[in-house]
Amino acid sequence: MKLEGTFTVDRPRDEVWQVLNDAEVLRDAIPGCTALEPTDDGYEATVQLKVGPVKAKFSGTVTIKEATAPDLLVLAGEGNGGVAGFAKGEARVVLLDAPGGTEVAYEAEVSIGGKLAQLGSRLIASTSRKLADHFFTRLNEIMSGEQQREAS
Amino acid sequence: MSEITLRINGKQRRVTVEGRTLLVDLIRDQMNLTGTHVGCDTSQCGACVVKLDGDTVKSCTVLTATLPEGTEITTIEGVSTGDLHPMQEAFSKCHGLQCGFCTPGLVVTAIDIVERSPDGLSASQVRKALKGNLCRCTGYQNIVASVLEGARAMGVQVTEEKETV
Amino acid sequence: MKDTPEKPFKGRLEDRRFLTGKGRYVADITLARQCYMGQVLSTHAHARILSVDTSEAETMPGVIAVLTGADCAADGLGTVPPFFMPSLWGGPEGYATQRKILVDDRVRCVGERIAIVIAETADDARVAAETIMVDYAPLPVVTDARAATEADAPKLWDDNENGNISVSIPMGDKAATEAAFADAEVTIKRRLLSPRIAPFSLEPRVSVGNYDEADDRYTLYTSSQDPHGVRSNIARNVLKIAESRLRVVSPDVGGGFGLKAHMHPEDALVLWASKHVGRPVKWLGTRSECMLTDTQGRGQEIEVEIAATKAGKLTAIRAEAWTNLGAYFWGTATPPLFFAMQLIPNIYDVGAVDLTNHAVFTNLPPMSVYRGAGRPEATYLAERMMDELAAELGMDQAEIRKINAIAPDAMPYTTATGMTYDSGAFADMIDAAARVSDWSGYDARAEESRAKGRVRGRSLISYVEVAGVMNERMEIKFEPDGTVTIVAGTHSHGQGHATVFSEMVADWLSVPVENIRYVQGDTDKVLIGRGTFAARSSMLGGTALLRAKDALIERAKLMAAILLEADKDSLDFADGMFKVRDSNKAIALTEVAKMYYIPAGPANALGLGLTGEGTSAGKPGAAPNYPNGTMVCEVEVDPRTGALTVDRLAALDDVGRILNSTICEGQIHGGIAQGMGQALMEEMVFDEDGQLTSGSLMDYCLPRAEHMPDIASELSEVTCTTNPLGVKGIGESGAIGAPVAIVNAVLDAVRPLGVAHIDMPVTQAKLWSALRDAEAAQ
Ligand code: FES
Ligand code: FES
Repeated sequence: MKLEGTFTVDRPRDEVWQVLNDAEVLRDAIPGCTALEPTDDGYEATVQLKVGPVKAKFSGTVTIKEATAPDLLVLAGEGNGGVAGFAKGEARVVLLDAPGGTEVAYEAEVSIGGKLAQLGSRLIASTSRKLADHFFTRLNEIMSGEQQREAS
Repeated sequence: MSEITLRINGKQRRVTVEGRTLLVDLIRDQMNLTGTHVGCDTSQCGACVVKLDGDTVKSCTVLTATLPEGTEITTIEGVSTGDLHPMQEAFSKCHGLQCGFCTPGLVVTAIDIVERSPDGLSASQVRKALKGNLCRCTGYQNIVASVLEGARAMGVQVTEEKETV
Repeated sequence: MKDTPEKPFKGRLEDRRFLTGKGRYVADITLARQCYMGQVLSTHAHARILSVDTSEAETMPGVIAVLTGADCAADGLGTVPPFFMPSLWGGPEGYATQRKILVDDRVRCVGERIAIVIAETADDARVAAETIMVDYAPLPVVTDARAATEADAPKLWDDNENGNISVSIPMGDKAATEAAFADAEVTIKRRLLSPRIAPFSLEPRVSVGNYDEADDRYTLYTSSQDPHGVRSNIARNVLKIAESRLRVVSPDVGGGFGLKAHMHPEDALVLWASKHVGRPVKWLGTRSECMLTDTQGRGQEIEVEIAATKAGKLTAIRAEAWTNLGAYFWGTATPPLFFAMQLIPNIYDVGAVDLTNHAVFTNLPPMSVYRGAGRPEATYLAERMMDELAAELGMDQAEIRKINAIAPDAMPYTTATGMTYDSGAFADMIDAAARVSDWSGYDARAEESRAKGRVRGRSLISYVEVAGVMNERMEIKFEPDGTVTIVAGTHSHGQGHATVFSEMVADWLSVPVENIRYVQGDTDKVLIGRGTFAARSSMLGGTALLRAKDALIERAKLMAAILLEADKDSLDFADGMFKVRDSNKAIALTEVAKMYYIPAGPANALGLGLTGEGTSAGKPGAAPNYPNGTMVCEVEVDPRTGALTVDRLAALDDVGRILNSTICEGQIHGGIAQGMGQALMEEMVFDEDGQLTSGSLMDYCLPRAEHMPDIASELSEVTCTTNPLGVKGIGESGAIGAPVAIVNAVLDAVRPLGVAHIDMPVTQAKLWSALRDAEAAQ
């Protein structure tokens, strides 16, 4: 399944790049994330998710396959939610200068299995869209918070 | 855990329920009224329909703890005592049941449909009103006939004797 | 008997219990100290299991035990083979799978059982099961049967020498078919699909297992159509115990449709778990769990080509089919493989045939029987192609069928696939169906549709069913007080056997129906039986019952002779009385029966008790029967939106001698609704990774009351010659005819708009795109 979207973050590209690679910020911004630890080539994370009637705790890994600062990030990930199922996929995140900030465009190829597929297939696209929204909104908040802190 | 008093099939019952206890589980497991069935887990089959303060509900969607004190519940076991209700008679006479699994939910729903239609009822109205109830055995043909027959017996006029064939 | 105004249908004996909520389904059974089973099902369609971590589950509240495939192996549990393979029906040898009831090494489809949790409540069991982590190493997946036959397809069973093909069943005469094609004036080729669908009994599957240490004996309560079959399978293959050590009880069953014609892993799991924990164990399948783990029906792709003359006479059919077995050759998957081929000639003299059916393993859940079991696929092919031929030649749908129909004077008639029809008046059925359905009034209705901006289409199709498989046993016994008990080897789960069989016995013996008790579905009470599926019970159960009655009367005669002081051969039995011929001496059967139970006296010489047993046999080995019928359907399509209504549906069925017309018609209605579901809405959808994406009623659509037209059903009685009752089966006819009746009517409506082909299920979206594509092409 293909998922894609773009968001605008009202901070310059360098800064956005930095927070996208900051475990602390990611832990805070990823909806439902309860743990996120850097590893040699990425992260290990635990995320609590609800897709339609399926609620589950996914634990998994994210591998950074390519990182060209401050333009391009290619990530591969997989998460196991036990009987609830699994999700795995690859995402390309591209950062572009945009008026008043940075445009972040992502493209992901995802496959899901188990209960998540059985009961949630129909909802995956809209749910991921919502999650991404949350993520970037939170990112914006965090960055403007820091900005305020810096200013004060 | 909370306690609540309900009137089930005319009898007052004080029950203890957990926050997550569904009404259907209370009815089946605690009250031992196993005529109310469970056919799905997405509230789409109607096997669990009961009457709740005059309305029909899918009892698999109701959290018991949220019911007001004194709520009146009628299950299939409370539809008749001794003699069959005219709707039950009609289902038998018109062969509106085969395996019987959908039957309790359908009978409770059917009585409600008729009670809500004092001015008359047609076959196509019945078909529409049955949209929340699944039956995998009968093809609905004889269920529709049963509901109309039951309506007649309950004194409601059937406005369209036969659907256009 | 046919209902008449003088003798109307009065309801069934079993109705009252269901209408008052007193039915007793397995889910309603609560045993003392019972605990519950929850399952861990595979989330991958093909993967090696690297590890199963149960540590957290073991510490969860309410958990009593957690068991995995390793425990199965440690306890020496056996694996489950298919119920039987095609070789038993005269087909070639094939690859038979052995299925573990808990898989520990490699999962081959989603929903494989990997571990179970036994806990105090169903919720506890489910919650704990969710904490069990299975580590998988995914393997490549193949979901499509035809793709699975490619050389480079992922292979399911390493030691299967035939790739992913279990067996290829050939039928017909290749040379004759080729010759006919060489001479053909018209040939038409099509590729037809019958997607996988769910039997979906409204009652989800459920099992309760109880091991009794004192007796070293197991009891299984399960929602089954065939308790004795389940017993044999579990006792022999899984638990490896004497069959007498296992009792299987199927009380009220909330619909079967083939789903419950064989055992499921949970049946064995609850028994094994019960012995482990020393308590009864109950498993209540949730709907989504059942959608994933139930066997499914259909699942066939077929390439077909027909040859005919310009006058519309068929001369040959050749076809190659790929049937999607799923990961295992499971349960009763054999009959659909045969029926899907054997019934292709349908009611027609088709000339030569050359047919092959490949049964192919894929990473889908296992296929088994579903109402119709191969017959709907065969009929779909025959009748789709008949309409293609009519359209090609510009002929009337009824006319072309009559040209090809087998004539009554050709009976008994052996088809090109080797079925011998004993009786059938096919062309008459077509004429009668045309009458019942107001075939000639069609033009006016089509005009009305046009005025509303819709297009109307119609179909007239015929079908043959083969009913009455395997053998059967029935018992009639008198109780000491003169009442009667029928002990049935068949299993009624909606078909009304308690009523039909009791009425038959009441009639034969002249005992009031109220004095007859009907017993079924308990291996401790019924010596042996085959259960009910494949429309077998009226013929096989009925015939066995008739023979049981004859045996009982024979034995009763011995006593009557003593009591009447007459010669046994001078006695006649009629109206419940034994009468001495040419005399007025007589005695009632019930009085005779009671004498078999008195504790002392001269009559004791005959022994204790009056019972009669009878058996019967059907295909293979003895003659089955061929119910048949004609269906007429009219649909209306809105060409702008693809919205579709089935406006009229008439079915005329030859069911042989009618035992109870209301019950027969009920069976037809139900079958038609299921056929309509197949035609228009039902499909088990799997993505390319083998993940089920239509796994609940949110995504799997079933017919509801408002989808169904008012069905006009009529019965015709062409007495069957292969059994003493003259009956034919009825359980599947509706489901066999309806899919193609509806699809043909849809195609008839949209063909003038340029849509020449559409596959089931014909959803509004699919029809809309077909209409748009056709528009664009013009
Ligand atoms: S159980 Fe299906 S609607 Fe309640
Ligand atoms: S009678 Fe079986 S589901 Fe309705």
